[in-house]
Amino acid sequence: MIIIKPKTEFVVTVEAELTPELAEKDLEEIKKFKVYYGKDVVELGELFEITKEGDDRKLVLEGDFSRVKWIGCRMTGGEIIVRGSVGANCGAYMAGGRIIIEGDADDWLGAEMKDGEIIVKGNAANLVGCAYYGDATGMSGGKIIIEGNAGNYIGEKMAGGEIEIKGNAGDFIGTEMKGGTIIIHGSCGFVGGDMKGGEIKIGGEFELLPTFVRKDDAWVGDVNVKGEGVIRRIVG
Amino acid sequence: MHHALHIKNGIVIDPKNGVKAEKMDIFVKDGKIVEESEIKGEDVKVIDASNKLVVAGGVDMHAHIAGSKINTGRTMRPEEMRVVRNIANKFRAAVGRVLLTSPAIGYEYAKMGYTSSFEAAQPPIGALHTHEELDAIPMIDKAALPVFGNWHFTFKYVEAKDIEKLKTFIAWALERTKGFGVKVVNPGGVEAWMYGGNVTSLDDQVPGFNVTPREIITSLIKATEELKLNHSVHLHCNRLGVPGNYETTVETIKLAKGFSNDARQVLHVTHVQFNAYAGDSWRNAASGAEEIAKTVNSMDNVTIDMGQPIFGHATAMTGDAPFQFTLHRLTGSRWSNKDSEVEGGAGIVPIVYLPKNPVHALQWAIGLELGLLVDSDKVVLTTDYPNGGPFTEYPYVMAMLMSRKMREGELANVSPYVQKATNLPAIDTEKTLEEVIHMTRSLPARVLGLPQKGHLGIGADADIAIYNLNPLEVDTSNDFEKVYKAFKTAEYTIKSGRILVKNGELVDEYWGTTYWVDATGKVDLEAIKPDLEDYFKYYSVELQNYGVEERWLRRPERIVV
Repeated sequence: MIIIKPKTEFVVTVEAELTPELAEKDLEEIKKFKVYYGKDVVELGELFEITKEGDDRKLVLEGDFSRVKWIGCRMTGGEIIVRGSVGANCGAYMAGGRIIIEGDADDWLGAEMKDGEIIVKGNAANLVGCAYYGDATGMSGGKIIIEGNAGNYIGEKMAGGEIEIKGNAGDFIGTEMKGGTIIIHGSCGFVGGDMKGGEIKIGGEFELLPTFVRKDDAWVGDVNVKGEGVIRRIVG
Repeated sequence: MHHALHIKNGIVIDPKNGVKAEKMDIFVKDGKIVEESEIKGEDVKVIDASNKLVVAGGVDMHAHIAGSKINTGRTMRPEEMRVVRNIANKFRAAVGRVLLTSPAIGYEYAKMGYTSSFEAAQPPIGALHTHEELDAIPMIDKAALPVFGNWHFTFKYVEAKDIEKLKTFIAWALERTKGFGVKVVNPGGVEAWMYGGNVTSLDDQVPGFNVTPREIITSLIKATEELKLNHSVHLHCNRLGVPGNYETTVETIKLAKGFSNDARQVLHVTHVQFNAYAGDSWRNAASGAEEIAKTVNSMDNVTIDMGQPIFGHATAMTGDAPFQFTLHRLTGSRWSNKDSEVEGGAGIVPIVYLPKNPVHALQWAIGLELGLLVDSDKVVLTTDYPNGGPFTEYPYVMAMLMSRKMREGELANVSPYVQKATNLPAIDTEKTLEEVIHMTRSLPARVLGLPQKGHLGIGADADIAIYNLNPLEVDTSNDFEKVYKAFKTAEYTIKSGRILVKNGELVDEYWGTTYWVDATGKVDLEAIKPDLEDYFKYYSVELQNYGVEERWLRRPERIVV
């Protein structure tokens, strides 16, 4: 396990593809791990205080990481605990393991993730589990749980896995969704535009597009794309 | 900085000057190649090129590197921008997978030993944008070919059979757009697209005008030859991308009969691979390369370029708007349509060439067939960047043309459909190193009409590439991996006497020349003034605001004909 603390408040964003595998290396090697600070390539040790306790695949990020991007990007296993908020693209392309964020998460949380688990104790911003612009498929597996609220664009082009939001969410939920499940316990805005497959369950209020057809206890669509996506209310 | 260079002991291949792998020294002063005596007493930098190949810098005569099409491609393909090639520091930030940013285009050409590239389709009304982008490409010399084949003025003068006014119009348009030559894209077809259609043969009538593609092409050849422009008509044929189109291509090539020019061809037919399909649907499509090669080889006034597809990502972008819509319907991929008022149009569609896809494998094989079957003095190596794929894979095409063994290896990995639909597996031709150097340097320079490019003779521009390959020892048939690797990154790229690349790394930045051709001295511009004034009532810009002033360009060079 390694514990990482920012040495200063960052003037520009840091891009640090920190994964739990890093904890298996020895301390000197960890300190030399290359990250971007703005446009400059610097060593992890220059920006962060690092302490190592044992070899298990676990990162503990202490403090404010809200300007640190790409944490847990492409991780395949192990665990990351963020004791604070985290920057954009956290858990992007993730294929395994677990990320726990005790504060808030910025945009692109779990974008294009394939497997693993992300838990956010606070709120998440926009574009949770989405496809990056121009790509065909968003989140395809694994699970994202957000205890608070989330912003706009949740699960765009999602093909598998599950996103659960305990609070409210914004507009454009499951746009162009192909598979998987989105659960929103609170309320949200527009849902399921150009949805082809998968399921969206909502506890509170939401805006339904006119391109969904009532079928039993659910709505099916989007008929514009001959979709068979399902939107239903959470009962009880 | 040194004013003079002495490239010592290199093995030189210089097809234009008949130098076939000879050990010799090259001397450079003030950006030109000079005699040894000229550099005496100068501050000379000596480059040891022992056992290395020394050739002229590569000349790409057909690529889409600037203008509204590639920029729309970049906008609609954000996923292309995730490959970081250079972080801003001494050099500019450069990104892109196949669709590169402007700085990346210059850097990647330079790393490969290429020193010139021509934007092959400039929408005239987008000339300023095109030149702004060309000005943002470092390292290389460049120019742009405006499109004439669907411009209402062209139709009008062809309809009236008024070659004098057509010539005047061409001269006016080249001056206004700071263009280099006459590009023609699907003549008449893009106008038909304005009504949702296309033309299907050389003799279809263009909607709204009493002209046919045949008349447009022959009139433009006649006008270009009478003006004696550096470059001939540069033609993207009708019926591109349609099975059975090779017959139209053969017929089109024959239109050059009866025209002649001592210095160069009178018709250059571009990215012929996309116009070389037999059959009547994609289910039974086959190669028409052999018939086309026979026709080109039998004529001494026509050249072509390959338009070789490279497996992987590409973006189809042409001024052939109806074809782009067909491609979009065929692949279901994203599509963008561009309209350039009464001048023509364009379209953009992302594409991935997959080796196991029978159609893609067929296209790949046809490109190579053309490269192998057409005389090396008549076929230029291109990928029609980014339509067929990245220009950075030219070394792959070079190595493939030189090695049957490499082709056999690649054939084993592609769809077996090519075995029955093409003759590629049976072709045992192996181009020589000298031929491939000609196809990438001296030939495109001649085709473009640039006597100072593509060779290492005295007085030529000192655009030089040095590769880690000894032509006296290398066995191009068997050492194809070595050949590919060597051409992929130059040991040295020298542009106008300046060392820009060393051991494949950028070391210096340089801003090249933008060439444009001025033929206004041969015509009376007053003759078309009433017509221009009449048309510009309906243009979105005023006549006096139309075009690009020379002083707006970074490093323009006017070529007066």
